[in-house]
Amino acid sequence: MNPPIERRKDRARASGLTRRAALVAAGAAATATTLAPYRVFAATPQGQLTWGVHVSLAPTWFDPAETPGLITPFMVLYALHDAMVKPMPGQPFAPCLAESVGASEDGLSYEFVLRKEATFHNGDPVTAEDVKFSFERYRGASHDVMKARVAAIETPDQRHVNFKLKTAWPDFLTFYGSATGAGWIVPKKYVEKVGADGFKKAPIGAGPYKFVSFTPGVELVFEAFEQYWRKTPGVKRLVFRVIQEETTRLAALKRGEVDIVYSIRGELAEELQRTPSLTLKPVASPATFWLYFADQWDAKSPWHDERVRLAASLAVDRPSINQALTLGLSKLTGNPIVPDFFDFYWQAPAPPYDPAKAGRFLAEAGYPKGFDAGDYYCDSSYSNLAEAVVDNLGAVGIRTKLRPLERAAFLEGYGKKSLKNIIQGGTGAFGNAATRLEAVAVKGGVYAYGSDPEIDRMFQEQAAEMDHERRTVILRKMQQLLAERTIFAPIWQLAFINGVGPRVGQSGFDLIQGFAYTGPYEDITLKGS
Amino acid sequence: MTITSPVETTVPSGDFPFSSRFDFVRLSDFPLIPVLILSTIALVAIFANVLAPHNPEIGSLTARFKPPFWQAGGSTKYLLGTDQLGRDVLSRLIFGARVSMVVGFTAVIFAGAVGTTLGIISGYLGGWVDQVIMRLTDTWLALPALTFAIFLAAIVGPSMWNIVLIFGITYWTRYARVTRGEVLSLKEREFVRLAIVAGCSKFTIMLRHILPNILNTAIVLGSLELGVVIIAEATLSFLGIGVPPPQPAWGLMLADGKQSLMVGRWWLSVLPGCCIMLMVLSANILGDWLRVKLDPQLRQL
Amino acid sequence: MKQYITRRVGYCLLSLFLLSVTIFFFVRVTGDPATLLVEPGASEADIAAIHHQFGLDKPLWVQYGIFLASLAHGDLGQSFYYRTPVMELYLSRLPNSLYLAAVAMALSLLIGIPSGVLASVRVGHFWDNFGKMFTLLGLSLPSFWVGLVLILVFSVYLGWLPSSGAGTPLHLIMPAFALGWYFAAAHMRLTRSSMLEVLGSEYVKLARLKGLPQSLVIAKHAFKNALIPVLTLAGINLVIMVNVAIVVEVVFAWPGIGRLLYEGITFRDFPVVQGVVLMGGTMIVIVNMVIDILYAVIDPRIRLGS
Repeated sequence: MNPPIERRKDRARASGLTRRAALVAAGAAATATTLAPYRVFAATPQGQLTWGVHVSLAPTWFDPAETPGLITPFMVLYALHDAMVKPMPGQPFAPCLAESVGASEDGLSYEFVLRKEATFHNGDPVTAEDVKFSFERYRGASHDVMKARVAAIETPDQRHVNFKLKTAWPDFLTFYGSATGAGWIVPKKYVEKVGADGFKKAPIGAGPYKFVSFTPGVELVFEAFEQYWRKTPGVKRLVFRVIQEETTRLAALKRGEVDIVYSIRGELAEELQRTPSLTLKPVASPATFWLYFADQWDAKSPWHDERVRLAASLAVDRPSINQALTLGLSKLTGNPIVPDFFDFYWQAPAPPYDPAKAGRFLAEAGYPKGFDAGDYYCDSSYSNLAEAVVDNLGAVGIRTKLRPLERAAFLEGYGKKSLKNIIQGGTGAFGNAATRLEAVAVKGGVYAYGSDPEIDRMFQEQAAEMDHERRTVILRKMQQLLAERTIFAPIWQLAFINGVGPRVGQSGFDLIQGFAYTGPYEDITLKGS
Repeated sequence: MTITSPVETTVPSGDFPFSSRFDFVRLSDFPLIPVLILSTIALVAIFANVLAPHNPEIGSLTARFKPPFWQAGGSTKYLLGTDQLGRDVLSRLIFGARVSMVVGFTAVIFAGAVGTTLGIISGYLGGWVDQVIMRLTDTWLALPALTFAIFLAAIVGPSMWNIVLIFGITYWTRYARVTRGEVLSLKEREFVRLAIVAGCSKFTIMLRHILPNILNTAIVLGSLELGVVIIAEATLSFLGIGVPPPQPAWGLMLADGKQSLMVGRWWLSVLPGCCIMLMVLSANILGDWLRVKLDPQLRQL
Repeated sequence: MKQYITRRVGYCLLSLFLLSVTIFFFVRVTGDPATLLVEPGASEADIAAIHHQFGLDKPLWVQYGIFLASLAHGDLGQSFYYRTPVMELYLSRLPNSLYLAAVAMALSLLIGIPSGVLASVRVGHFWDNFGKMFTLLGLSLPSFWVGLVLILVFSVYLGWLPSSGAGTPLHLIMPAFALGWYFAAAHMRLTRSSMLEVLGSEYVKLARLKGLPQSLVIAKHAFKNALIPVLTLAGINLVIMVNVAIVVEVVFAWPGIGRLLYEGITFRDFPVVQGVVLMGGTMIVIVNMVIDILYAVIDPRIRLGS
């Protein structure tokens, strides 16, 4: 799971090579390994595949400069654009537009070498100017962090880009490569010519597919870009249709009106499984869910007592709920915040289901008959999960009133800390363990109602630590402490269930680890081709 | 019939110049079945605690999706089957009657009270008061009711009483308009003129003379609006902002059950759908009959 | 006459102004769009940046002023989610909604008028009641449910019709039915009561006295005259239908303004919500005003009396 630069650095130290030599060697090795199996003989792309998409497609997603930090825009970005470094099959930081990446030992500079054959859809080559331009115009999520940390960007020639950082920042590649759109490259000349709005109407990128047409909220059409550096895409036309209503989406799949659908839940997933011509494709998404005990920081609240929190965690019958709601496909993990494929993940022991023990803990804590725990808040799209958990809690005596809120209201209340008692939280944000913990467990985090000074201290420590091994140790200890004190009660790592029709060969699901959607698009094929 | 003063009489309902073949204001037209249905629902709602065999809000995941007892896999323990969380459908339907009745009637009465009051004030007082209220009504009407309800739900958050409040605020306009029209014509009648001459205050006139004559209209409107509210409750549940789970409401059960329909578990969707249909249909037939009996002049409904 | 029209137009504008104020402030109370445009856990700075981008950090009065000023140019602002001008979005989807509403209205009249005629004439008990029941049934079932059942039966099980989206006339049938069935009852009631009135009129009594056969009386005289108020109501309802089709559009993935509004509300996309509601409201207010004026033209008592 380590980013490739770490390995190179260690190799350099061990054999006493100079940094430059190491970079060159690494560059050559990377080029050889990444290029070789992928440059397939260019066959003509054929046919069409249609997706039934569960969210409304927005033109902002065509412009990587505006990625708002949601996962959904990447559905489009992977088709239309390409990045210097991005998650690919088997590699979380695969060099794409860059054929190699090197970091200096002090971590203050990163050097990228661009691929010779990388071009935009209009034929222009991808140059260092474009890379610099794309970074500077980036104004999406975390752009302030990126801009604050990067001191300068040098472009010594057309194919070399050096990022100079102000201070050592171990997470630079995580932010540049996966958490933001800053590393996704757009053509400078074209953008300057048509402007940002014109770009959104007729975007041009370096990805495997070209933009054809877009009817806002209705349909998006792409066509294969045969000169894509990695390989020629197998399918000629991609069509994305917006069908927000789940039942209608599945109906469309059943009838063959679409070939791939996203997000099928509950009973419809069962139906999908039962239909012989359709394939159910679960993907381990980075979305983790947890129960947050908002009142635990208040000494007068029952939740202040660790035993009460533990009792709540023991009361939840995760296996049954998993089976009932997601066909048993979600991952039951003891780590409430960090998904298992994230960098710095700590493997927690699986959470037990023991209502008897829960009852005992409650009695010990002074609530033999249970207590009135107030409100249980959740995002209304997940009320089916909430209902089941509320039931479980009630069974051991923790009586709560379910309050599902519309997504907007829920997020706002959670962020403003106006929700109390129990909150069923969840997030699918990109990043690593550090970024996740920052938001929910560390002082100053958007969703942290309170914090533990020891954990805060450890967080500051790891933020300055450049050595990956040492950082891993600190972050793992943090997660362990959180788990031991049951600051959160883990629920699960949600499986994102999708459906694939009979016409599809390689659907693109589950190729890129942790990516909920189909990708890479150039690998998708029709059956029989 | 309407309450009148000794001088004035209302237009008798049999005054339509029809031959008996077309006169359908007959006793045999009394909508017996709808009234029986509505009474049954009301009784079920009142005695829900006694009638329901299980707790409607708690289920066990091991007993999920049991079909009704007459199908294979069903049992008499759960007469009408269970839902996705193992809760007894029959009990939920029974308690759901309570929610539907409460939401339906309260919302209708609330909207009716607000709308009728505004209509009377607007119609009787006239002048700038009338204009202001009418412009307000126009604005409200221009905002589609469902949209408005969605907004309000987003602001106050969903709960049963909030839903009642939302419907009350959303649906008063029709009462106001129709009532105002009635009041405008009533204003010119003899008995009102007499009351003015007798020195009654405006308030007294509105309360003791106008209001009783308006009640018929209000009742007819109310019976028709009842159906609208019940359907609207179901629609809000479909959009995710109706009566919140785990409370059993027919509309919520219908919305939750839509997936089950595709999978073949018809009872989760069809049964609450039937309940809604029976209640709304009965309310509408009753309302139609009431309109004919009480106030045949009403046209724009 | 001119005075009446001027007054009506004045009221119309006033209503629209009130509507704009109401909707403007209302949407802003519903929540913060920024929280929906980022993944949970985004930093304060990200959210503040979004606020600034959309001009949400300015004081409310200033925002409203900007809103009104743009309105004067026919500019409804730019969607937060789509980053395209709202007017463009609206106009691209409006034809679809109108199309759907028109067909739904036709179906609604097709069901409602014959039922109403039968109910008023009492030809034979069975058909009269059947028509009435069928029409009222449309009023008694939520349209989303009707839509879903239709999809399941006609699209999935029977495979006759496409399940969602727009494109061919086949795509139109189910959504139009789901939408139109609900309004059929109103048309039935109005048809019935206006038929009754006409049938009771002196003119018809005379025709009957003259010995004309019943069916002829109904068909030629009563029906035509009874139709006028029904069509008027239909006109008003058409506009309402366009605005009320949200649920049907969501279920059938129909690319109309109902769905646009729904998405706007879900994403707290203020300009879209304001724009759609304002445009819809304008249509309703204008239609009402035109009808009022037409009535005033026909019936002098109305314009002189008020």
